[in-house]
Amino acid sequence: MRLPFQIAVRFLKSSKGQTGLIVLGIAVGVSVQIFIGSLIQGLQDSIIYKTTGTSPQINISSTSDDKLLPNYNDIVDKISRLDRRIINLSVTSDGPVLLIKDTNNYSVLVRGMELEKSNKIYNIKNRMYEGKLPKNDYEAIIGKELQEELDAKIGDTLQIIKNSGEVSQLTITGFFNLNVAALNKTWVITTLQTSQKLFSTGDKVTGIEMQVTELFKADEIANRVSSKIPSDLKVENWKAQNEELLSGLNGQSVSSIMIQIFVLIAVALAIASVLAIAVLQKSKQIGILKAMGIIDRTASLILLFQGLLLGIMGSILGVLLGLLLSYIFSKFALTPDGQPIVPLKIEYGFIALSALIALASSTVAAVIPARRSSKLNPIEVIRNA
Amino acid sequence: MPNIITLKNINKVYGTTIKTQVLNNINLSFEEGSFNSIIGASGSGKSTLLNIMGTLDNPTDGEVFIDSKRTDTMNKNELADLRNQTIGFIFQFHYLLPEFTCLENVLMPYQIQSSKLTKDHINRAEELLDLVGLSNVKNNLATNMSGGQQQRTAIARALMNNPKIVLADEPTGNLDSESTENIYQLMRDINKKFNTTFIIITHDKGIAEKADRIVEIIDGKVKMEMELGS
Ligand SMILES: Nc1ncnc2c1ncn2[C@@H]1O[C@H](COP(=O)(O)OP(=O)(O)OP(=O)(O)O)[C@@H](O)[C@H]1O
Ligand SMILES: [Mg+2]
Repeated sequence: MRLPFQIAVRFLKSSKGQTGLIVLGIAVGVSVQIFIGSLIQGLQDSIIYKTTGTSPQINISSTSDDKLLPNYNDIVDKISRLDRRIINLSVTSDGPVLLIKDTNNYSVLVRGMELEKSNKIYNIKNRMYEGKLPKNDYEAIIGKELQEELDAKIGDTLQIIKNSGEVSQLTITGFFNLNVAALNKTWVITTLQTSQKLFSTGDKVTGIEMQVTELFKADEIANRVSSKIPSDLKVENWKAQNEELLSGLNGQSVSSIMIQIFVLIAVALAIASVLAIAVLQKSKQIGILKAMGIIDRTASLILLFQGLLLGIMGSILGVLLGLLLSYIFSKFALTPDGQPIVPLKIEYGFIALSALIALASSTVAAVIPARRSSKLNPIEVIRNA
Repeated sequence: MPNIITLKNINKVYGTTIKTQVLNNINLSFEEGSFNSIIGASGSGKSTLLNIMGTLDNPTDGEVFIDSKRTDTMNKNELADLRNQTIGFIFQFHYLLPEFTCLENVLMPYQIQSSKLTKDHINRAEELLDLVGLSNVKNNLATNMSGGQQQRTAIARALMNNPKIVLADEPTGNLDSESTENIYQLMRDINKKFNTTFIIITHDKGIAEKADRIVEIIDGKVKMEMELGS
């Protein structure tokens, strides 16, 4: 094993230019692979985070006529002990109202929340650009688009008409921006008590919301929750609500894998052709070595080692190049506010896998040249000086 | 002295549709420790004969014995081993490995049989290089030596495993007369010193006549054998 290895090293060293080129070729392949993989994964993660990160991933509502959940404390208690993957459990009391300003009315949704708990889901505090959270009864905050529509200022009073026809007033204490115009336009966020008083629902709520630590297990967790609570309650999860998004992401993953496979094939072909040329270039040497007594297996090992060594050097350089590329991308491809356009997801397992696949394909690519080297008859070389 | 190489009824035919008989019923033996030359016109079949003796080529029919072992029925690995242990080759175009230094080239036949390189073996290689007068260039790459130096390296390499037989195909074909003279003297010395059998193809009549025995090949047949008293 040592002799064919030594000879392989010598052969590679003796044609440094050629060795360098093919190593670079493998490295570019590996780095493209790592970069594209991290980019797509990062992209998908950020899309999923944007759609689900700051909203409930599982929510429970009632199918009864009044849409109310009695005894919600028992249910919340049960759920909180059901599964450790469930986090940020909170309740809401929501109801539609008409908002009146001058001659215009806007239909909006009053959302009564346990603000400290719900904040963990919606991150409202950080997304308020003016004012503060409602604390006292009949205080509320509204979204950016609604503020612009109403031309509202902190301290202004909102006139609202409930379904019953009753009129109430809410005082504006701040403005939020959830980055979704539809929500900014229609949500009026207030405390749980205010909402319960407004709609005279007493100690009942309209919804239970939660997030999970394993995002892609949300459907499974939702099923567990569903089996443990009364059957007139409806349990929904983000995956069921975003099927189209998920199938879109799936398509993206498949195309990314396709790209990676083609890159891999190109790399393997490049190695195979370079090694095929190497057999031709070194056939004189292999012939003379055979005349001196190396056996065919050793002759093929020389080529296999060449493939392996090229693969190792190419993979290492490729990983470095891929990380460098990713670093440059995340440092220089920025949005106007200094955030990376796409936050890359660097997974070491994926990088190791890419390197390993490149390594394996370089060795496999060396098999055909190795067989040619094994079959080479020394007499051909010696006769055709 | 016993025979180290024996050829019995060797024929070599090239081609399947148009057949060319290159060797025609050759019967020849070489004594151990003898110094032989083979002469003949270009295309007469000398190299073919030598390659068959070196187990690099197969006869179409006939039997080859080396060191009283029949070789035309051995498998490739056995032949590789036999070549490594018993035969040293010197080719007209020296065929050093250009990626390796002079010393490494000389060590190669040893490394093929055993990957453990000992000080003893390095010493032996250096002694051989001393013998052929190359101590001062032993660390040069093969490509950084003159033609004569490369040929002398090839001789040292052929001797590395202390083979019983050295087969040389026009080893001085592209050297000037002085170098040619030196190399023959060298091979003669080695022949005396180690009792190595030499079989050398040459075009140079003067050189041929210095051998113990001359074999002349004409059109694939042994035309003349001449023992020369030394
Ligand atoms: N592969 C082959 N196919 C057909 N004919 C061949 C082949 N190899 C050699 N020959 C023929 O065999 C004959 C003998 O060749 P060989 O090389 O043994 O001659 P030689 O005596 O060594 O000649 P030289 O002195 O020029 O080296 C030549 O006529 C050559 O054309
Ligand atoms: Mg010849």
